Amino acid sequence: MSQSVVAQMVVSGALMGLVYALIAYGFQLTYATSKSINFGQGELVMVSAFICLSLTDLGLPYWVMVPLGLICGALLGLFVERAGVRLALEQKSEGWILLTIIIGLLFFSASENIWGRDDRPFPTPISSDPIQLFGISVTPVELSVAAGVFLIMGLIELFKRKTLLGKAFEAVAADRDAAQLMGISATGTVMLSYALSGTVAAFAGILVAPITTVGPTMASALVLKAFSVAVVAGLDSGFGVVLVGLFLGALESLTSYYVGSGWREAPGLLLLILALAVRPTGVFGKAVIRKV
Amino acid sequence: MKKALIATLLLSLAATQAFAADVIKIAITGPFTGGSAPMGASMRDGAKLAIAEINGAGGVKVGARMLKFEVLERDDEAKNERGALIGQELASMNDLSGVIGSVNTGVVLAGDKHLQEKGITKIITPAAGSASMTQWSKAGVKDLSIFRFAAHDGIQAAMVVEEAVNRKLFKVALLHDSTNYGASGRDDLLNQIKKQGNKLQVVATEKFNIGDKDMTAQLLRAKNSGAQAILIWGIGPELAAIANGMAKIGFKAPMIGGWTLSMSNFIDNAGKNGNGTMMPQTFIEEPITPKAKAFIQGYHKAYKVSRIPSPVSAAQGYDAVYIFAAAVKQAQSTDTHKIKAALENLKDPVQGVIATWQKPFSAWDPANEDSHEAFRRDQVVMGMVKDGHVVFANNADRQRLIKSATAVKGKNVK
Repeated sequence: MSQSVVAQMVVSGALMGLVYALIAYGFQLTYATSKSINFGQGELVMVSAFICLSLTDLGLPYWVMVPLGLICGALLGLFVERAGVRLALEQKSEGWILLTIIIGLLFFSASENIWGRDDRPFPTPISSDPIQLFGISVTPVELSVAAGVFLIMGLIELFKRKTLLGKAFEAVAADRDAAQLMGISATGTVMLSYALSGTVAAFAGILVAPITTVGPTMASALVLKAFSVAVVAGLDSGFGVVLVGLFLGALESLTSYYVGSGWREAPGLLLLILALAVRPTGVFGKAVIRKV
Repeated sequence: MKKALIATLLLSLAATQAFAADVIKIAITGPFTGGSAPMGASMRDGAKLAIAEINGAGGVKVGARMLKFEVLERDDEAKNERGALIGQELASMNDLSGVIGSVNTGVVLAGDKHLQEKGITKIITPAAGSASMTQWSKAGVKDLSIFRFAAHDGIQAAMVVEEAVNRKLFKVALLHDSTNYGASGRDDLLNQIKKQGNKLQVVATEKFNIGDKDMTAQLLRAKNSGAQAILIWGIGPELAAIANGMAKIGFKAPMIGGWTLSMSNFIDNAGKNGNGTMMPQTFIEEPITPKAKAFIQGYHKAYKVSRIPSPVSAAQGYDAVYIFAAAVKQAQSTDTHKIKAALENLKDPVQGVIATWQKPFSAWDPANEDSHEAFRRDQVVMGMVKDGHVVFANNADRQRLIKSATAVKGKNVK
């Protein structure tokens, strides 16, 4: 097949892959500080997108709606932490698994009742008319997704490395008990990580909603892929999710072109099995040394 | 002792008859909330519009009395298990004259068996999946109380293939979703292509999943295989993703597919990329005949809207009630079994908004589902999306409908 087809498939797939990576990054943030993840992350993406849609319906301009949406995302993240994770962590139980799933279901049915089950278009000032870049068709909306993913991940990584609060974050991630002995509040840091994770979810919602439309099930397909990406990359791999996301997206796209559209999901799942069988901590993950 | 028993039996029989005869009790079922709600609620509202008209004119004359319709509404939420529960509930009612409704084929399959067991008359509208009726012919049922008032997928697939042939789009790509609906749509299309003389060459067959947003791979394959048209079977959101994906890769070919292409969640989400898409329709929201004008205005006024969410469902709900009322009148009874017998042999034509119905149904023949199907090819037209509305795709259809309406009018005057 011609080169241009391959390039087109790789680019289209990789752009979707970046969305997987962004949602996967939300998993990582909370896993780093608390070894817990929010299984309702997809619902956070969806609820945030719905809130943003309602804000737009109120007549707010796009650039006012975006920061408000991100704040809502952070608040939702904090809610998940307080309601579903904190007590379980204090008691060293695994209750957060069930609780985050339940909170996700709660968000799901609440939004079905508030906003209905229809998929609705999401307004954006960014054009969705295709443009040609080196013979490849992309839409400005898709490019904005790519730019947005790198922007927010870059900002959060900078924050973690350059600010005092961020260093506390890293300290808790490295060794929770030692950090606490140094006077860092572990609870506060976990709260921060959930707030950041919620913000990332909201941002993912705003970025993809013009492509996926907004509906209660908008993130259910994405979040499964994101979970694969997070596990394959390793739950503490940082930018590793981006590489794995890009790879998985491009691979899916190429498979469905060359092998057949029915096989689209297969490579991702194979990759997941392979990764878990060969490198259980992820391709970019650090090996766990457990002292007994 | 024996005498007393017979007397009480007779008395109770008379009592139930008197009770049953006060009103014509019918149930309207369908998804009134959720993703399929535009279709369910439009069907319900269309049916209630007809009922309001009939009740407003005094009701249906049975014997010496005028009986009014009384409506029970049941929301099945497009869920199969709700459909089964509602079917059981309705089947347990002794004074129910009939049921109208259902949008989702799965719900029909789950619920109708309970009605059929008790012989309760049901008119299915607007669910179009072939399985709703073939389940009975396959089971070899001898006596069936289920009727359908919708253009079933068989007719629709035939029209889609016909349209591609007429427009000389001989190289086609088949796209379908991976659900039961999509897969059976693909089979219907392939059957029809064979039936209509293999004029179409299928250059690509692609499928997609519910929730897929990036259709680039499927569409590039279709484009590179030289397809001139896309024949498609799926539902609103994914259909919109396909229309938007075609615009992205600069693939300009018309999309022709099932009536789901008129769903508002396709039209709204595809925006200008949906223009030119074609699908079979039983009713187009254009006031081309006096009857259609009155119906559209009545609907807009009664429900305070400027666009019927699903015109096809609304018009079918409306006509189904008139056909049911005609059967009650002919049976001179509110007994559901007698109404069924009357439906199978309606003597007078029924003036509906879609067409004037002459003997829409006949006695059930397990070898031919058409005996309980009201729609034939003639009552269905091709619609086309244009700037957020569905209009006639072919002006000839429009003219034909205007002509047939005036012809009927002339007959009535005589």
